[in-house]
Amino acid sequence: MRLAEVIGTVTLSRPHPSVAGFKFVIAVPHTRQSLLGGAKPDGEDIVVYDDLGAGDGSKIAFSDSAEAAAPFYPEKKPIDAYCACLIDSLTITEGK
Amino acid sequence: MQIGRVIGNAVATVKHASLKGWKLLLVQPLHENAKPDGEPFLVVDGVGAGAGELVLISSDGVAARNLIGDRKTPVRWTVIGICDQ
Repeated sequence: MRLAEVIGTVTLSRPHPSVAGFKFVIAVPHTRQSLLGGAKPDGEDIVVYDDLGAGDGSKIAFSDSAEAAAPFYPEKKPIDAYCACLIDSLTITEGK
Repeated sequence: MQIGRVIGNAVATVKHASLKGWKLLLVQPLHENAKPDGEPFLVVDGVGAGAGELVLISSDGVAARNLIGDRKTPVRWTVIGICDQ
């Protein structure tokens, strides 16, 4: 799961039936530099499915790839990024 | 499978139900020359690895679902071993 920070939400006026009612957030993934430097994330932003209630500024861990759709099994959903947890605290012990 | 170094850990209260009780380690994947390979990410630990340790991680989603025991878990990466050297 990659770490990211939420910077906004996406609202669909005409969703595909399979994603009707879903909530999506815009998240900026952390890079090695931003994590180790304690800076704001500076990766390429990505739209993430969220049902945990992530809001602006939330630090999240999201799954991408095929596992992002696993929580909907046995239904098939076109989801490739899934917010798996809201991070309370992140401890970095080593910078190497 | 890839070698990585445990460089931290994360604590989360609000999370997917399947993650309850599992330790989340922040792992930096490494090249064979020990240089960082890409961005660090969170890996579920079923082995008991600790900070600073060199670990073998697997991206097998099926193995992750078996380890966690939940077909619906969004987890992909798991620690499958601690490297001696």
